[in-house]
Amino acid sequence: MKKLIVYSAFLMLFAGACNLTRDVEIELPDYEQQPVVECYLEPGKPFRLLLSRSYSFFDPLGLDSSFLNKTLLQGASVAISYNGQRVVLDNQFSFEPEPLKLFNYTASEIVPATPDVEYTLEITLPDGTTITGSTVMLPFVPIDSVVVEFSPTNDTIARTLMYITDDQTKSNSYRRMLHYGNLDSLPQQDFLANDRFSTSATVAFGMGYDLSPGDTVFNTIYHITPQYYDYLESVQLAILSGFNPFAQPSPIKSNVTGTANPLGIFTCLVYDRNRTIME
Amino acid sequence: MQKLLLFISFFTFGYGTLLAQTSTNATISGVIRDDENGETLIGATVEAVGLRKGNVSNEYGFYSFTVPVATDSITLRFSYLGYETQERRLVPKGNAKLDVSLRPQGSLLEEVTIVANQLSEKVKSTEMSITTISTKEAKALPALFGETDLLKIIQLKPGVASGTEGTTGIFVRGGGNDQNLIVLDEAVVYNPNHLFGFFSTFNPDAVKDLKIWKGGFPSQYGGRLSSVIDVRMKEGNNKEYDVAGGVGLISSRLTIEGPIQKEKSSFIVSGRRTYADLITAQINRANEGNPNYNPIPDYYFYDLNTKVNFQLTEKDRLFLSGYFGRDVFKFNNEDFNFLFDWGNTTGTARWNHTFGPKLFSNTTFTYSDYRYRIRNILQGFSFRLGSNIVDANIKQDFYYQPNNQHTMRFGGNLTWHDFRVARLRAGSDDGQVSFESGEDFTGTEFGVFFSDDWAVSDRVKLNLGARLSGWNNATSNYARFEPRVSANYAVSENFSFKASYARMNQYVHLLASSGLSLPTDIWYPSTDKVAPEKSDQVAVGTTVLIKDKVLITWEAWYKKLYNQIDFIDGAELFGQTNIETQLTFGDGYAYSPLELEIEKKDGRLTGWIGYTLAWVKRGRFPVINNGDYFSPRFDTRHNLSVVALYSLNRHWQFTATYVYTSGNISWLPAGRFTFQDVQGAPFQPVVPVFGQRNTFRYPAYMRADLGIVYKFRTKRSEQDLTLSVYNATDRRNPYFLYIDVQTQPAQIGGGTIDVPTGFQAKQVSLFPVLPTITWNFKF
Repeated sequence: MKKLIVYSAFLMLFAGACNLTRDVEIELPDYEQQPVVECYLEPGKPFRLLLSRSYSFFDPLGLDSSFLNKTLLQGASVAISYNGQRVVLDNQFSFEPEPLKLFNYTASEIVPATPDVEYTLEITLPDGTTITGSTVMLPFVPIDSVVVEFSPTNDTIARTLMYITDDQTKSNSYRRMLHYGNLDSLPQQDFLANDRFSTSATVAFGMGYDLSPGDTVFNTIYHITPQYYDYLESVQLAILSGFNPFAQPSPIKSNVTGTANPLGIFTCLVYDRNRTIME
Repeated sequence: MQKLLLFISFFTFGYGTLLAQTSTNATISGVIRDDENGETLIGATVEAVGLRKGNVSNEYGFYSFTVPVATDSITLRFSYLGYETQERRLVPKGNAKLDVSLRPQGSLLEEVTIVANQLSEKVKSTEMSITTISTKEAKALPALFGETDLLKIIQLKPGVASGTEGTTGIFVRGGGNDQNLIVLDEAVVYNPNHLFGFFSTFNPDAVKDLKIWKGGFPSQYGGRLSSVIDVRMKEGNNKEYDVAGGVGLISSRLTIEGPIQKEKSSFIVSGRRTYADLITAQINRANEGNPNYNPIPDYYFYDLNTKVNFQLTEKDRLFLSGYFGRDVFKFNNEDFNFLFDWGNTTGTARWNHTFGPKLFSNTTFTYSDYRYRIRNILQGFSFRLGSNIVDANIKQDFYYQPNNQHTMRFGGNLTWHDFRVARLRAGSDDGQVSFESGEDFTGTEFGVFFSDDWAVSDRVKLNLGARLSGWNNATSNYARFEPRVSANYAVSENFSFKASYARMNQYVHLLASSGLSLPTDIWYPSTDKVAPEKSDQVAVGTTVLIKDKVLITWEAWYKKLYNQIDFIDGAELFGQTNIETQLTFGDGYAYSPLELEIEKKDGRLTGWIGYTLAWVKRGRFPVINNGDYFSPRFDTRHNLSVVALYSLNRHWQFTATYVYTSGNISWLPAGRFTFQDVQGAPFQPVVPVFGQRNTFRYPAYMRADLGIVYKFRTKRSEQDLTLSVYNATDRRNPYFLYIDVQTQPAQIGGGTIDVPTGFQAKQVSLFPVLPTITWNFKF
């Protein structure tokens, strides 16, 4: 029996050592380029929008400015309306410094923080096709507390628990993000949640015991619309299934429509953020 | 009782008078058994020589047929493939009971009795689209990791696609993996897989016989659309004690059987367990204290089959059997306590009673339970997820043969189902935070059936049957009529035309989130929103027997599927209070002009060649592909399999299998876009855009396996060493494809991130050439 186990282990190692992955040439289905909208209305910040193009999957990528120019969709007419006001966004670049974001349509007007206001988007592309969308500013959901908890087995490492209070009279969706160090870093956690199966008003978001003295951690909670939830989820699923054959592929669930056959999201950003430095 | 049957027959089919029996006939009945161990033989042939009268034993070994009363003796010939033919003489003065025991052919080298009766019975029978797998044959064939697997042998038969390499997926004639009624001693097995589908739950040492119907379904079966896989456990040797087992690369097996009371009652206990966890535990132990070492999780599976049977009286026999199997995957450390286990439990109590030479009854109570649970306990928080389906079923089945022209079956069954669907509980230990979701259901399913296998003339046979099935629960109530008809026209002793039509309904549905058979797939009941699935299948074909040795079967078929279930795009199965919001409903169809099997069952060289040319489509889902039809993953156009077993002498046997199938269908992205998200840089540079579903076909799959069996005997034992070489040509078959994003580092936003520079499609194969040796013994 002992020999058999050794033999088994040998064969398993042999199989693992075999090269079972190789490059292949494949032909993907035909694809027609689509405009892509990204517009986040953030209270206290200007109206801004990124309009770009999608590509066939195997089209070349590039880091140079000519590729960026090809990707950005310029020359469109963009306007956002709310409460009887119409804000026209000029075809003008603007940047958000941290985290770094690029927009190619900008207005000087500032997005108000008033909740429950409906916004509508109208875009006319240079070829005359159109894109429309609408969204609503959701109420602010604050972080109740961020509790630091040390490991019961090792008092030099800790974690944070972020608590919020969910309005149980309504159906709510959230996006939780957790950053270490600074907001330009890749998030340690980025996931969607909704309250449809929560049995208590208190909702907690935890993490592993991973923090040492001196570490900085950012806990962020976004209160998001169901359309934004669906869009983000479909993007996550598309990314996952693009490279994982066992995931269920998902088409992108955009909340913009129109004769231009667009992809993308038009939404408000309502969030609370807590910065904690471990002592 | 007989009057009641005549009454039912008359009002049901209007030919009751045909069943009248005269006193000028004598009925001979009995049970056909294996002479060595007393196991009943299913499908053995009995024939009155020169009278052109005969029959086949049913699934309990019982046979019955009628001859004219005479004062001269007649010869009865009993035969069964792999057994010596036996002739018995008797004078048919009146009804007679004649139990017969057939001796197995000692060795494949010994002179082989050509069992033409067995093959010619296939020519004459109304049954079509049926395949029987014997464990003896299966054990000789080369197998992945040397683990003989009956479900993988089924995949080598025409009309059956396997889905994914190495797994036990069964896609019969365009049906889904959940559309197979898999029963073990009549108890439903809801998940016939171990290790995510790489091995089946059926321990070959405990199984006597496996039959699969791909169409022309007998009316006693219902509840699934595409196939019936009937697995019968051995009853246990009622003559002497046997200990048998095997040691393989993945698992070891041990079976003990013997008489409780000689030739009257017997038992069998058979177990199997994998031992990879013993190796990984040693590796983990050796690395204890190494901070850079990540322990390997424990994984193992085991199963246990037990059965006892008692001959209570000459007319009564009682069987009790059970199956229990589990897969266990666990990982524990100081902060993390993860357990994932799943498995089936089945139990069967069966009472056979012979009312007389013409009427045989089987009363069965079965219990089935399939469940999985995932538990994760972190410091201060816990997470539990699970689903299960539990059935309790009672079934009454009568087998009645009023005369040689008619063999009737009728009866009914009632099944109570209990479902727990995606039950999730999570929260903090202090109760401050808690989440809960999932649904519970119950349902009752019933069926009543009748069929008559009617020999209209020497050339024409009909099987007329019907099943009335139904479903009831809190929100829904369905009743469905299911006609079943098949016909045989024998042009000659060796050539016949066949045709069949069968309607099936399915009241429980498997919600599977991927193309694989995962233990977390959920069984879901019919409700007011989820209507029963339905299929209509028509098949025509011919059966030709050449020189009493080679049987050629051609069939063409068309199957229409209704109320098929799929997920909406981006569906979430868990954390739902109403899972039906994630479902969408459509239709499907499949057809084949050519499903061919050439079988050679005796001689030194045996085996078969199977080929299927088929098309499979799903469509009319309102939210998928704009309602257009598309190919499901398992729409493989060509399927070819060649299986050969050659017995050189009493010691050596050589085996080979070859498989060619068109590639599976896949849904790959057509486009991509860049998504900077609220996060900005580093952003998502490549978000795939999926267009029309399932438009890409993988490269073709080809595999050749070789096997050598060396048998030897000692004074008290029979043993063999089986060398199995899986994928002998070391071909790299596609298991899956993915598109790799090639990157290079770039300075963006004050940091360094990997920026994509191009793409490369990659093919991943699962198994290279895999030689294994298995030792089997029997004492």
